[in-house]
Amino acid sequence: MEEIVTRQNYSDKEKNEIFDSEFMPHINSMYNFGFRLTLDRDDAKDLVQDTYLKAYRFIESFQRGTNAKAWLFRILKNSFINDYRKKTKEPSKVDYQEVETYYNSEDVNRQITPDLRVESLKDMIGDEISNALNSLDVDFRTVIILCDLEGFKYEEMAKILDIPIGTVRSRLHRARNLLKEKLSEYAKSMGYKNTEL
Amino acid sequence: MTPHNPFILADGKKPTCMEMLQVIIDGEANDEQQEYFKNHMDRCLPCFKSYDLDMAIKRLLKSKCCGGEAPVDLMEQIKTQINQITPS
Ligand SMILES: [Zn+2]
Repeated sequence: MEEIVTRQNYSDKEKNEIFDSEFMPHINSMYNFGFRLTLDRDDAKDLVQDTYLKAYRFIESFQRGTNAKAWLFRILKNSFINDYRKKTKEPSKVDYQEVETYYNSEDVNRQITPDLRVESLKDMIGDEISNALNSLDVDFRTVIILCDLEGFKYEEMAKILDIPIGTVRSRLHRARNLLKEKLSEYAKSMGYKNTEL
Repeated sequence: MTPHNPFILADGKKPTCMEMLQVIIDGEANDEQQEYFKNHMDRCLPCFKSYDLDMAIKRLLKSKCCGGEAPVDLMEQIKTQINQITPS
């Protein structure tokens, strides 16, 4: 999926302009992404810093006016996988084969969490949703962050994650079901009963 | 007579309710797909229920999980490091 990158020729002044006007405005989203991936504030800071330094170093492969946020997210994701994950030796627990099989199987329409209702979400005013998200395996967490928190399109997500759009869809589908399972556990522990039907 | 389903993929496979719903929820649907789904949802209880729930979860995620701001000194630290690597 490697794209052909046209190298730009920027002056130092232009580089700094791009950096300040196109890269820096995304620092809060970048930090949030880093934090949601590492679940540690110091690690998130290191990861973001590292990402911005790399972005500056490779600025000539960034084309002005294109999606800077997606470009930066891709660098951060790669840094996370290549540097951070290797360092902490967190293995990926996701069995993608299983994911695909699951998605294509007949029982995909089965309602997994019949007891989770909109009303029970209204009481989740604390950290429930955040904790539920953080509890997911990092690959599932990532697609929810990119899609629901940051509003990236499937096509952008495919580029950021270097996976086909079909995999984006299926991973997102599975991630949401896992999140619902978590939320429904919270809802149950908060005293909601499945009174409907 | 069944109307043409605009969600049908290039491989001709009929999409499930959940697959259609996901495209709608994520704002990836075109006008034709939105129209089709609106009609479908009127006749499909699982879709009708899931739509509200999925939208509510999406909104909750957005409002609860992305408020955090980067530490104030982070931007300065980055700028300082960049000034060190660029000859000015
Ligand atoms: Zn349906």
